[in-house]
Amino acid sequence: MKRASKRGAGGEQLFFDDPAVDGLMGVVMALATEHYVLRDRLRLLEEQLARSGHIHGAEFPSPQEDAEAFTAELLRPLLGIQESVSAGGQFSLKSKSNRRRSKR
Amino acid sequence: MITERSFEAGQRFLLSAKNWWTSELYPRLRAEYEARVGTNPARHTVADVAAIVEDLTLYRYFAWLERHLQRMKYSGTYGLTRYYDLKRETALQDLNAGDGSDEILELNPDLKLPHYYTRIDIHQHPGGVWSDDVAGLVYEHGARSTTPLLGASHADLHTRFTEWVAAGGSPVKVLDLGCGFGKSTQPFYSRFPQASVEGVDLSAPCLRLAAHTARNSGAMNIRFRQRDAAHTGYSDASFDLVTSTMLLHETPPAVVERVFSEARRVLEAGGRMIHLDFHYLPDPFARFMHYGHARRNNEPYMQPVAELDLRKLLLREGFGDVQIEPFREADDMGPERRDIWRFPWTVISARKPRGRSGHAKPAARAPKRR
Repeated sequence: MKRASKRGAGGEQLFFDDPAVDGLMGVVMALATEHYVLRDRLRLLEEQLARSGHIHGAEFPSPQEDAEAFTAELLRPLLGIQESVSAGGQFSLKSKSNRRRSKR
Repeated sequence: MITERSFEAGQRFLLSAKNWWTSELYPRLRAEYEARVGTNPARHTVADVAAIVEDLTLYRYFAWLERHLQRMKYSGTYGLTRYYDLKRETALQDLNAGDGSDEILELNPDLKLPHYYTRIDIHQHPGGVWSDDVAGLVYEHGARSTTPLLGASHADLHTRFTEWVAAGGSPVKVLDLGCGFGKSTQPFYSRFPQASVEGVDLSAPCLRLAAHTARNSGAMNIRFRQRDAAHTGYSDASFDLVTSTMLLHETPPAVVERVFSEARRVLEAGGRMIHLDFHYLPDPFARFMHYGHARRNNEPYMQPVAELDLRKLLLREGFGDVQIEPFREADDMGPERRDIWRFPWTVISARKPRGRSGHAKPAARAPKRR
C-alpha cells in the first residue's frame, strides 16, 4: 500500500498507511478515557453505598492499581500476543496463485 | 463542566497508558528490532534503524500513542488546557498578585520573544508555555508526568542534579538559564542558602509561578527575571555558576552557541557552566527513538542539538575541563536500562579558564552571530 502523506487534512501527523487507522485509534482512546472516567464515578457511588451499608462485600483496589489493570487489558491487543498455542500469522484458504493475483 | 474528580480520573488513565507505553510497548519494540537487526547493530545508522523499524506495526502503535497520549494530556475534555481555562480566575488569584516587580520577580513586557520560541507549540502545549496567563500552571502540571516512571520522585531529578553540582564545590553566585516555573532553580536556592541565585526565562506566566513558589517557601536568596538566556544583560564575570536544565534542546544550534558564549561572558574566571540536558545516545536505536520523540512532541531543535559536537563547540568557545557524561535520574535508572523508554539524561559541564593574571583567556574566535 502506498504510504499516505505525513499529515492529515487537518494538519495532524499520521502514523499508519491508511489515515482511517489514525482516526479510529483516536476514537478508541477517546472512548476508553470516557469509559475510565465513568468507571471512576461508579466506584465513587459504590464506595458511598458500601459505607452506608447498602451493599456488602465490595472491594476497591487503589485508583492507581485500577487504572493500570484497566489500561493493560485495553492496550494488550496491540502487542499481538497469542493467548493459546496454535498456528500464527495471517490465515487464507486462497491458492498461492490466487493470492499473488489479489496482491496485484 | 467537568468535576475535579473526573479531570483527575481522565489524567490518571492517560498516565497509566503512558506508563504501559514506556514499560511494555517500548521493550517489545526494541526486542523486535534486535531480532531483525543481524549481528552488528553498533554499525547501524539512524537510517538503518528506520529502514527496519518504521514499517513495523508495533512501531506505528508506539508512535501514535506517543503523539496522542501527549495531545490528550493537554487538549480535549480532560486536558490540562481546558482544566486551567475553566478554573482560570481562582488559579490566577494568588499568582498575579502585585504588578510583577517586587524583590523576587522582575518582568519585562517589552521583551521581544524570539521567533524560534513562538513559532511552535512546544510539548504539544496549545499556545506554548508563554502565551496564556495560565500557561505556567498548565506546564507545571504537565511536567509532573513528563518522565512517567519517576512518578512522585520526579522532583528528585533536580535534587540529584544539584547534588552533582555541589560535589564540585558550593557556588555563591548562581544563574539558572531557562528556569521555567522554577523547578530546577528551587533546589539551588534551597541547597545553597548563602548563595545569591538568579533565574531567567522568556515566559512571564512561568516566572510568575516560579516567584509565587519561592515567596511561599520564604526564600530570600532568589530573584527571577524575564530575560533571554542568549542575552542576559548581566555584567561580565557576575557568577561563579551558570546552569540550565532542559534548556539547550529547546533552542536551535545557533542559539546554543550564543548561550555558551553568553555564559562564558557572565562567568568569573574559573567559574563553572553545568547543563542537564539530553545528549548521551549510546546506540542507533536510542538515537532513532530520540529523533522520533522530537518530532512527535513538537521539539524541532532536539535532533539538531543532539547532533552537535558539544565538546568541540565548548572548546572553541574557550571553555576548559569539558565533561559530557550520562546522568542517572534515579538510583535504578540510567543508560543501562534498555527495558524502558527514558530520556538520554546527560550532564554537560565546562569551566571558564583562568589566565595567568587570573583573567579568562580570550575565546578561540568570536562567537557566531546568526
